[in-house]
Amino acid sequence: VRVVVADDAALLREGLARLLLEAGFEVAGLAADADALLDLVEQARPDVAIVDIRMPPTHNDEGLRAAKLIRERWPDVGILVLSQHVHAGYAIELLSAGTEGVGYLLKERVSDLAELASSVQRVGAGGSVLDPTVVTQLVGRRREADDPVKRLTEREREVLALMAEGRSNKAIAERLFVSEYTVEKHVGNIFTTLRLPVSPDDHRRVLAVVAFLNAQ
Amino acid sequence: VGISTAETRPATTAAARGVTVWQIATAVAGLLAGAGVAWILSRHGSNSFGVPKLPFAVPVVVLVGWSFIAGGLLYWRSRPENHLWAVLIFQGFAWFGSMLNNSPNPVLFTIGQLVYPWQYASGLYLILSFPSGRLRGGLARAMVAIAIFLVTVGNLFWLLFADSHHSMCRTCPANLLEVTRDDAVVVGVFYVFRISGIVIALTSIGLLALRWRRASRAQRHAVMPVAVAGVVAFCALTVSYGARLAGASSPNALDAFAFYAAAAVPVAVLAVLIQRRLARGAVAGLVVELGEPGPGADPRAALSRALGDPSLALGYWFAAESRYVDRNGRPVELPEAGGGRRSTVVERDGQPVAVLIHDAALEHNAGLVESVSAAAGLALQNERLQAELRARLVELQASRARLVEATDAERRRIERDLHDGTQQRLVSIAMSLGLAEAKLPADPEHAKPIVAETRTALAVALAELRDLTQGIYPTILSERGLSAALDELCSRSALTAHLRLFLDGRLPIPVETAAYYVVSEALTNAAKHSRAAEVRVAASCSNGILTVEVADDGVGGAGNGRGSGLRGLADRVEALDGRLTVSSPPGRGTTLRAEFPCG
Repeated sequence: VRVVVADDAALLREGLARLLLEAGFEVAGLAADADALLDLVEQARPDVAIVDIRMPPTHNDEGLRAAKLIRERWPDVGILVLSQHVHAGYAIELLSAGTEGVGYLLKERVSDLAELASSVQRVGAGGSVLDPTVVTQLVGRRREADDPVKRLTEREREVLALMAEGRSNKAIAERLFVSEYTVEKHVGNIFTTLRLPVSPDDHRRVLAVVAFLNAQ
Repeated sequence: VGISTAETRPATTAAARGVTVWQIATAVAGLLAGAGVAWILSRHGSNSFGVPKLPFAVPVVVLVGWSFIAGGLLYWRSRPENHLWAVLIFQGFAWFGSMLNNSPNPVLFTIGQLVYPWQYASGLYLILSFPSGRLRGGLARAMVAIAIFLVTVGNLFWLLFADSHHSMCRTCPANLLEVTRDDAVVVGVFYVFRISGIVIALTSIGLLALRWRRASRAQRHAVMPVAVAGVVAFCALTVSYGARLAGASSPNALDAFAFYAAAAVPVAVLAVLIQRRLARGAVAGLVVELGEPGPGADPRAALSRALGDPSLALGYWFAAESRYVDRNGRPVELPEAGGGRRSTVVERDGQPVAVLIHDAALEHNAGLVESVSAAAGLALQNERLQAELRARLVELQASRARLVEATDAERRRIERDLHDGTQQRLVSIAMSLGLAEAKLPADPEHAKPIVAETRTALAVALAELRDLTQGIYPTILSERGLSAALDELCSRSALTAHLRLFLDGRLPIPVETAAYYVVSEALTNAAKHSRAAEVRVAASCSNGILTVEVADDGVGGAGNGRGSGLRGLADRVEALDGRLTVSSPPGRGTTLRAEFPCG
């Protein structure tokens, strides 16, 4: 899998490149700001672009905007946005531009090499990755008494959160030490309870779940 | 109550000046001249030179002369620096002098002939220069100069060739100045006089019309009677001269009209003077009005009515900032010199109280402005205290807004510092640890240097964090007090800093903190901008005043624009009732000095 990295802090750019190499990825190039990133993507056509959300010149959400541009121009390039703070709003914005091959992670997740590698892999393969912190934020919101989320069982809520993180049924099953069949049953219940249209596609259901959680 | 104006006009009042011998002599001479002329006219009748045969012509002649002289005397007493008074008195005597040509005595007759046209030149000067007494514009000056030439040199030349019986009147006595009779020259010169007269009259009407269009309301108010009388007199002169040029044999009605039109000019001048005196009477009403201020009463309205200037603006002296503010405490700009506005400062006990910003036309009625200012002094003083309070409030609100802004900016800075510094270092450390962890099982030899590197990075991160927290609040200040904190600041300074301390014990924490930031900011600025070699820092507390001073030997020229750093410091100092001053003459170093009450 070919990867490019965009971060204005050299320390993190280089460190990330080292980690990715260690994890067996091919690093096709490094960029220090959004414009350089766009040029790099055009030339290198990587499988995944790892983008810091805050970059020069305004240090606000350049990374996010660059990600959306990449989405439009090169839809087959996966995007993993890294940020030091998480905002559910940013995640939704990103997912709304297309859920395939998108990820939104807290920067500190990169310390777990296995987790990083798996996220890059999933984004590269067209999957979605959403940081557990964002999901916790979304699921853990104060809810009204008649909120359908309140009618979910404890286990169903765990499954919901893992779905929102972009994990497949198989991955959820592994995580919860249950069979894939059991997960499918939970997923069915969740979709019925939340009155969401059943989506056969692992990827697409992320947006449905996240949008639902965010809308409440 | 004292008055001074933006222009350095002496602040004398009419009451302060006594009646001089010269003024009494002028008055007596004027009375005698009028009586003499009345005697000549009643004794010998008019030979139709200047006085048409009309009812009341004789009393009108005398009264007109006296009004000119009386107007001049009034002006002399109230505005001696305005030489209109001299013009008016001259005009009066010229008027009486012109009547001498009704005398059967050849000497008096000839003097009358010589003097008779002078009044035209002075009348022209009077109308064109009213009310300032100064001619404005080259055209006005040129016309007056031509008129003076014609009535003196031109008239004398004419008299050299004019035979009294042929060119003046059949019953007239001899013209003693006649050298040789030359009727052609006499007629030619007459044409020149008449045509010049018409041209000057018409040009003057145009000039007056132009000024009227450009004048402000107050200016129009001030000149209207004289301008109207002037235009009527010029019209009459034009018609009467035009008729004679056209060959009409001097119709009596036309002469009468011209005569009374000329007579109206001094009456108009007197009317303006009386109008001003009456306006001063409004001052009494002003005192009553200002004496009982109702809720929300605005002295501006009362002053504006008393002065007849609707455009009047008031500024109150805000001593703390040495500037004027309006009653809502907002800054008031003084008019620039040479514009259509003037400012008059009202003082009490030598201190400015307020400034009246009024139409320049009021300058010609300084007496009114003076008495109005004097009457309003106390009320303005009360209002000034209110305005000062509001100005302080405005200042306070602004400084509060700046403090909030500064707090936000500070938070943004801290967030940025943490984000770009500490957080990134920690993420990088986490990454290194992740890398080491991945390598550890299979390749422990390569993992070891990564762990060592991580430890170094952690040490750097800790040092940065320490600097950052120190910058957020200097702990040494709360732990050890100002002396220790200043000592540390100076030892950390990029420039050589000499510290002199005259402090014992602790001061209130807000004062210590503000003093610390003054020194900290001053040292930073000196290191950044001053190109100084060394800095002297002093802090002393005596008589309940803490003074901190930071002086460098650099290039100076700082702080004039009051950068946001200095503004923030000043806010901090002023919030504690302190005062921050910056003295930074170019080339002579910068001294930042803060004083706080620390009792």
